Amino acid sequence: MAPHIGTEEFFEALTNLLSTTTQKAHGSVSLTQKPLVDPVTNGPPSILIRASDGNTSAPRVKKDGKIVKGSNPKVTRVKFSTVVPADGIEAFYTRYAEVCKAGMTGMKKRDRKRKAKGKGGAKAAKA
Amino acid sequence: MPFLPTSQAFLEQSAQLLEAYPENVRALPNYTERPTNVAKRQKSQSKRPSPQESTPSVPIASLTLKTYSPDSGIILKYRTNKQQEVGRLMTGLGKLAAGADVASLGLSAPGLAGADVEMADAPEEGAAPAQPAKGGQQQQGQVQGGKGKKKGGKGKR
Repeated sequence: MAPHIGTEEFFEALTNLLSTTTQKAHGSVSLTQKPLVDPVTNGPPSILIRASDGNTSAPRVKKDGKIVKGSNPKVTRVKFSTVVPADGIEAFYTRYAEVCKAGMTGMKKRDRKRKAKGKGGAKAAKA
Repeated sequence: MPFLPTSQAFLEQSAQLLEAYPENVRALPNYTERPTNVAKRQKSQSKRPSPQESTPSVPIASLTLKTYSPDSGIILKYRTNKQQEVGRLMTGLGKLAAGADVASLGLSAPGLAGADVEMADAPEEGAAPAQPAKGGQQQQGQVQGGKGKKKGGKGKR
């Protein structure tokens, strides 16, 4: 596995990954977060964040150096990860949420029609 | 594998799961652009353009969030296609990562928690080490209610 990258690089890579996915209008972005608990110090855990485009059928190199062909040799797999120290979690997630919000543009925008409908429903319920 | 009805319910249940298993809970947000809808639409348009098919830009992306505890095997899921929820959900995951408790999550967005959620709060409050299994069952029981609701929602879309 590739070594963890810094948070700045992580956000850059994530922005790229999200924008390519939206441009293609195809594929997915998988994110993972998991606490890294240190059994020795037992302090607040740092968080491991992984991101991938989920192309597991792409060729890859195993830990022992063997090359796995994969069922679809044409595709490539994007995969990167970062470790967020416990004291940097808040700042990280503020940026993280921003990057995700900016990148996930294929989703439904706030719908004014539906809002009006909801208001009407509420009025009806009151009356 | 439950799909929870509201994002608030999802975050609260996830916080409870994290309380029960503080060392080993993973959150897996997954953003998907669904290609099938686009392909279908374009295909049918090129063959025989119908007024129904030409309605502009149906949202095709969705965000699925999973919280998974390998120790208990509990998976909580929530899916949304609303852009305005993305920011709140991701910040919510951040709060979970920083070890926020159920109460602080509940306060952050009052009025959104459904009746289901309040029910779930009660058994977890006296969280003894033996309780997690019980909590899991309760969640699974509730899950089916959530599933039914979700199906209803799908139909409307």
